[in-house]
Amino acid sequence: MRNSWKVAKWELKRNMKNKSFIISLLLTPLLFIVFASFPTLLEKLEGEPDSETVTVYVKDELNLFDEVNSLVKSQDLSWKMEEVTNDSKKILKKIETSDNQAYVALTENAIKTGEVKVFISNEMPETFSSEVQFLEAPLRQVKYDQLNLSPEVVQSITKGIEIKSEDASTKAGSGAENPSDKQSADDSSMERIIPGAFAGIVLFSIVMTGMMIFQSASQEKKEKVAEIVLSSVTPGDLMQGKIIGYFILGLVQVGTWLLLVVPIAAWRYELPIVEYLFVPELLLLLAISIAGYLMFAAIFVGIGATVEDMTATSNFQGIVMMLPFLPLIFIGPILANPSGIIAQVATYFPLTSPSILILRLSLLDQWPWVEIIIALVILLASIWLLMKLAGKVFKTGILLYGKNATPSEIWKWLRY
Amino acid sequence: MMNERILKVERLGKSFKDKRIISEISFEVHRGEIMGILGPNGAGKSTTIRNIMGIMYPDEGSIHFHGNSEIPRHKIGYLPEERGLYKNVNVMDILLYFAELKDYPQKKAKKRALEYLEKFGLAGKENTKVEELSKGMGQKVQLIAAIIHEPELLILDEPFSGLDPVSQEVFKEEIKELAANGTAILLSSHQMNMVEELCDRLFMIHRGKKVIYGAMEDVKREYANFKCTIIGDNPEELLRNIPSVHRVESKDDRTILYLEQDVHIPTWLRELPGELNVYELIIDRVSLHEIFIDIASDKNMIVKEGVKHA
Repeated sequence: MRNSWKVAKWELKRNMKNKSFIISLLLTPLLFIVFASFPTLLEKLEGEPDSETVTVYVKDELNLFDEVNSLVKSQDLSWKMEEVTNDSKKILKKIETSDNQAYVALTENAIKTGEVKVFISNEMPETFSSEVQFLEAPLRQVKYDQLNLSPEVVQSITKGIEIKSEDASTKAGSGAENPSDKQSADDSSMERIIPGAFAGIVLFSIVMTGMMIFQSASQEKKEKVAEIVLSSVTPGDLMQGKIIGYFILGLVQVGTWLLLVVPIAAWRYELPIVEYLFVPELLLLLAISIAGYLMFAAIFVGIGATVEDMTATSNFQGIVMMLPFLPLIFIGPILANPSGIIAQVATYFPLTSPSILILRLSLLDQWPWVEIIIALVILLASIWLLMKLAGKVFKTGILLYGKNATPSEIWKWLRY
Repeated sequence: MMNERILKVERLGKSFKDKRIISEISFEVHRGEIMGILGPNGAGKSTTIRNIMGIMYPDEGSIHFHGNSEIPRHKIGYLPEERGLYKNVNVMDILLYFAELKDYPQKKAKKRALEYLEKFGLAGKENTKVEELSKGMGQKVQLIAAIIHEPELLILDEPFSGLDPVSQEVFKEEIKELAANGTAILLSSHQMNMVEELCDRLFMIHRGKKVIYGAMEDVKREYANFKCTIIGDNPEELLRNIPSVHRVESKDDRTILYLEQDVHIPTWLRELPGELNVYELIIDRVSLHEIFIDIASDKNMIVKEGVKHA
């Protein structure tokens, strides 16, 4: 194990000193930030005329001007409020000949008829018609006051009736609904999704760096360093060292990305990401990610030792590199039905198990513990078997110079 | 010092599937000596070395280091035939990594690395990436990597292959110096002049089996009989009838007569036929190279056990 750490340290050090790795390490979150903020930026550019200030003239017979003005400010609307008392015809004429101006009459008649007339210029921001809808709330309140309705009655009327479908099994376990149910349901879905997304990123990142094991093993053959290294450590130590080294490298990568992206995402979307992230469920999700990494790392390190020339890699080795992307084909059906038969099969199949488990656990309210345990047992057994097989292939393959191994040769080594 | 046995290989055997690669390989390497391991391509030299290094495991036989069957890899330096270095890493990092793999203290390794780089004309190259070095420079770095941890036993598999004459000279001098300082060296090479110049003893292997083993002088005395080169036009019949000749090679007017063992040269010269047309006549010993070629091509398969260790 000491020798494995030496190899792991070396793999970590030489990659951390590698310019292309450092560039990709920093460029990935930068690209994420750019892609995340690009639509908003475009929106802003597109909506530039909308941000022009609209002068809104208000005829206030209901004594609502101050309330409306404070609502405008709280909603950050680009309105310039002006109370008018003089002749409305003069104002309307002015609006007719100018841009970005509106006239609102908050009158007794409007309360009576339930209709507020808003006169606008020819050129107005597109968003104005939706913005103006906020006036409904203070006007409705005036109406309730005039009808002498108690606050309880008002609350009862304004709450309305919501038709909501729910899973029977969830309902059975959750007991009676209380008023804070909606908020807590939102919280719990975030508590599932954020750790799930985090585990997904961890899995993605370490599997991606795991692919670098393939290159590393192959490079060791190509550059003929393997035999020198194997004169000091056993093939098992070398293989383990690579797996550990690239695992840590993957974590460094995730850590860096998160350090750069989480504060920005938390600020941009106003989410308490850190609070949602550190929940007990995260431990299991991370364990699944690590198991996924170990499985793919075993495959990559074994196959990498059979390849000397990456450019002449046969279809066989190419297919192996595609294995981590296999779960993508199940994503659609699983999103549609996270407890369906496809989801269950993909959960038990080792090559798709880690990603699918993480996806399902992020979607389901109640975790299917029996399925999780069975899937983990299958996954651990697969890791053990694949490590054994990878060890056999690595031991022989790493010393085979001058050519890529054929599938039949690899099969022979596995049986030897 | 030369008699302290560092490595003992006894009746080593290895097969791949049904193919016997080496069998009954036995030899010793002593402190401060350079032991040559020779043989044509595919003879089993690299397999023997890989078994010693623990890169492969023998089917039969044993390997002992200082009398122990546990081989301490960190006390052995190894320069394999198929060798290279990580290309996108700087020289010092690689040397320190190889030293670390051998459990050698990093501080000491750094000091030794700088000393060797200077000695081999690579001063100031410690922070240079390997891919920026010339081939010769890279080979020097490989040799430094093999000896940086002060090995007790140094195994060099074809150390001179691909080296330019200047680098060959540097390597040769370093090998001699290491042996003089007490390192036991096992050297595999095809370059017989180097082997002849460097090795104290040699072990020749052919088709996985020992054919010659002993001190260089004993081997030469035992196997390197005299040969007589005659320049002059002579009929083949006449040349064949010359006594005490076991093989004749002729090309144009040049004939080489390989003499049998224990031939007394002055007597043999007096007995040459009088009608022999001699423009020029040279008598010398058969070289190690010729012994090697003979064995490799099975022209005159000599299998002798009698050569004793010096």
